[in-house]
Amino acid sequence: MGFLWTGSWILVLVLNSGPIQAFPKPEVSQDKSLHNRELSAERPLNEQIAEAEADKIKKTYPPESKQNESNYSSIDNLNLLRAITEKEKLEEEKQSIRSSPFGNKLNVEDVDSTKNRKLNDEYDSTKSGLDYKFQDDPDGLHQLDGTPLTAEDIVHKIATRIYEENDRGVFDKIVSKLLNLGLITESQAHTLEDEVAEALQKLISKEANNYEEALDKPTSGTEYQAGKIPEKVIPVAAIQDGFTNRENDETVSNTLTLSNGLERRTNPHSEDDFEELQYFPNFYALLTSIDSGTLSNTKHQEKILPKSEKEAKEKETLITIMKTLIDFVKMMVKYGTISPEEGVSYLENLDEAIALQTKNKLENNSTDSKSKLYPVPSEKSHEETDSTKQEAAKMEKEYGTLKDSTKDDNSNLGGKTDGAKGKTEAYLEAIRKNIEWLKKHNKKGNKEDYDLSKMRDFINQQADAYVEKGILDKEEAKAIKRIYSSL
Amino acid sequence: MARCGGRVLLALCAALVAGGWLLAAEAQEPGAPAAGMRRRRRLQQEDGISFEYHRYPELREALVSVWLQCTAISRIYTVGRSFEGRELLVIELSDNPGIHEPGEPEFKYIGNMHGNEAVGRELLIFLAQYLCNEYQKGNETIVNLIHSTRIHIMPSLNPDGFEKAASQPGELKDWFVGRSNAQGIDLNRNFPDLDRIVYVNEKEGGPNNHLLKNLKKIVDQNAKLAPETKAVIHWIMDIPFVLSANLHGGDLVANYPYDETRSGTAHEYSSCPDDAIFQSLARAYSSFNPVMSNSNRTPCHKNDDDTSFVDGTTNGGAWYSVPGGMQDFNYLSSNCFEITVELSCEKFPPEETLSSYWEDNKNSLISYMEQIHRGVKGFVRDLQGNPIANATISVDGIDHDITSAKDGDYWRLLAPGNYKLTASAPGYLAITKKVAVPFKPAVSVDFELESFSERKEEEKEELMEWWKMMSETLNF
Repeated sequence: MGFLWTGSWILVLVLNSGPIQAFPKPEVSQDKSLHNRELSAERPLNEQIAEAEADKIKKTYPPESKQNESNYSSIDNLNLLRAITEKEKLEEEKQSIRSSPFGNKLNVEDVDSTKNRKLNDEYDSTKSGLDYKFQDDPDGLHQLDGTPLTAEDIVHKIATRIYEENDRGVFDKIVSKLLNLGLITESQAHTLEDEVAEALQKLISKEANNYEEALDKPTSGTEYQAGKIPEKVIPVAAIQDGFTNRENDETVSNTLTLSNGLERRTNPHSEDDFEELQYFPNFYALLTSIDSGTLSNTKHQEKILPKSEKEAKEKETLITIMKTLIDFVKMMVKYGTISPEEGVSYLENLDEAIALQTKNKLENNSTDSKSKLYPVPSEKSHEETDSTKQEAAKMEKEYGTLKDSTKDDNSNLGGKTDGAKGKTEAYLEAIRKNIEWLKKHNKKGNKEDYDLSKMRDFINQQADAYVEKGILDKEEAKAIKRIYSSL
Repeated sequence: MARCGGRVLLALCAALVAGGWLLAAEAQEPGAPAAGMRRRRRLQQEDGISFEYHRYPELREALVSVWLQCTAISRIYTVGRSFEGRELLVIELSDNPGIHEPGEPEFKYIGNMHGNEAVGRELLIFLAQYLCNEYQKGNETIVNLIHSTRIHIMPSLNPDGFEKAASQPGELKDWFVGRSNAQGIDLNRNFPDLDRIVYVNEKEGGPNNHLLKNLKKIVDQNAKLAPETKAVIHWIMDIPFVLSANLHGGDLVANYPYDETRSGTAHEYSSCPDDAIFQSLARAYSSFNPVMSNSNRTPCHKNDDDTSFVDGTTNGGAWYSVPGGMQDFNYLSSNCFEITVELSCEKFPPEETLSSYWEDNKNSLISYMEQIHRGVKGFVRDLQGNPIANATISVDGIDHDITSAKDGDYWRLLAPGNYKLTASAPGYLAITKKVAVPFKPAVSVDFELESFSERKEEEKEELMEWWKMMSETLNF
């Protein structure tokens, strides 16, 4: 027994003293530590990206930025942005870094179309302005003076628009078109109507009060209300007479300036068109084609007047719709429902869609007067549609040459656009295949219908992580996120 | 009431935007393909694989496309940056990307270490896309491979060099321009020379594995190491790779360790302890490549000495001595077995030939990956079932030990035969087991090690028992 005991101890000792090697301990850590280490040890990625972007921007964007400010100062509907523009001047340097990804992205996303690059860049700084506004407010729901932007404000803005156009029919047209498209229900339309009517009432009374103050202040660059006054003077007066009993002095002084106002009223309007709708060359072409259609119809004098009236109205409606859409988009951006780039892309796409539709209509030589994008009266002859075609073609050519010259200046970006389009297309294709496979795969496993929102979150997360690590560009990540969110 | 209206408006706005999106989606499609086609898909295109050279941006985009298509099984990451700041991108393919599943072996392919040896880079991009496509088509081989392995693909370890080589004008690329990294360092001579150490240890005794001591001093603080080299070394230390291949160009052969000759001469067969399995591994690649395995083919270059080539394979030292190479570094610093594959007589062949290189190599690339599921594998645990990391697995008759990973999992590649495996760890009693290893698949062998303290406890108990018995018998 003792032997057994001793024996076992000896065995243990022997084994103990056997050749146990001193093995090294390679760093046993998670994969993630590799990346963290890499990021902290090497140059911070963000810094490097920012550097690169800043360099790019300084080379290509400085001439553009000055134009932006002057353009925006004259757009009275975008009063909110005026203050932003002010801030923009101060923040220009910082913004150059932020705006470049958006700028690049815009260029990148650009189809061949009739837009020229300069316009897009100008629009860029709008976005960057908006973006900047966003980045100041975490929730993006503040006006200039810092008060939160409520639903009421949105209604107010629509009411303002109608007020400016001085035509309640505009609202009806918009709503009926939306109803036709099935975008809103009847009850929603009614509610909207009530809201807007209420807001309009308030607006009128407010404007009447402000009129006194406005007379002392000439058009200033920063006041939200004041800037609108010169144009609003006459409408205020006209509506006031109808709605409320105000001091006669006001009415008298109003009527004195009535004639001036009328002229001035049309001018800002067309100025408006020119400024804002310049971003939508196809739309603009459409408008001008309506005009030219009227012009070419000089032979049939008797028919001109009713036609031109009708066409003027149509034109008004189109412009209003367009502006309202722009406003909606801007509101959504302010409200945070969509991002600025999404808003811009949407509007751009809309313009392209208009171009497409216009082309189609021209080709089909349709006499369908109900067509909302190309309101050609059925009486129009073949000759007229030809001339309209010519006008539209001319317009396209103009824009085409503009685009070309820009291209020559920036052949790099032109080539980049081309290749970048291929890349986006490749990504789209890849995503499509992925979704297809995931759906199929889930069906096999008898699971629930594929959870797209989870996927979206995952992709968003991954995309951000990849941007951080330098695997994806910011624009690419945004494009990918956008593609997924639109599914 | 205002709130209500506001919500209506929001819904309206959202609806408008949505409508616009649909318009946009439709509007974009007709225009886009034309533009894309013109620029990118000039050459043959097959299932998303475009057989053309990818510069750094295209490389990145190609990997992103694969990821986007196969998000469920892929992940892109970077192990660091080249000297000029390009990311050393890796795409990982596995059923659980980003996670090491216990028992799942890790594989890597590295290409374009010499920037002007371009075929490997392209083949790896094609491979990533191919694996994704085939997985989604339900190709059983690929599905099983991806489910049972964690595959890491690094198309280019030297993106800077590639840019230099690719930017060269004219059809004929230089034999040397772009070979080294941006600092002029030949990355395949830049690794710490562990061959020398192991040769000394063979003679005088010493460890036969994991010879890289003092990572900080020898790697991080070593000014002579290129950033690419450092990045790869950290990568190797971080992930328990089992099998790897390093893709080159300039010849057509699968080369295995050791690369550096023992005596220091120019040519000498320098076998490593695992010569048998390495020959098998190299053959697993070359045999599926009809040109590489053709012993009757003419040598790549007139005055080439390819006498060492056997069935498209060669021992490194037998061909020519290479000190400081990545292949041997893998074997001697970690558990990873790596071979070097030379894919093309011409280092930077014309773009039109890429699709035929793919055809020649795709089966080899898949076959080689499957070799990871050979030999013996399993877990080393203690008696409570807890994993023992860094346990040593030694094979009787093979002077090269491997270690278990964090989860106690190990993979020991072995040629078919009968072996005695011993698992040991400090503070534990070693256990030896006999294993019969077939050609494939891998045999599963687990070890439960008893620690010394446990044994002591056992012995104490035995002693007490004996004493008790004694006292009872003798009436103490």
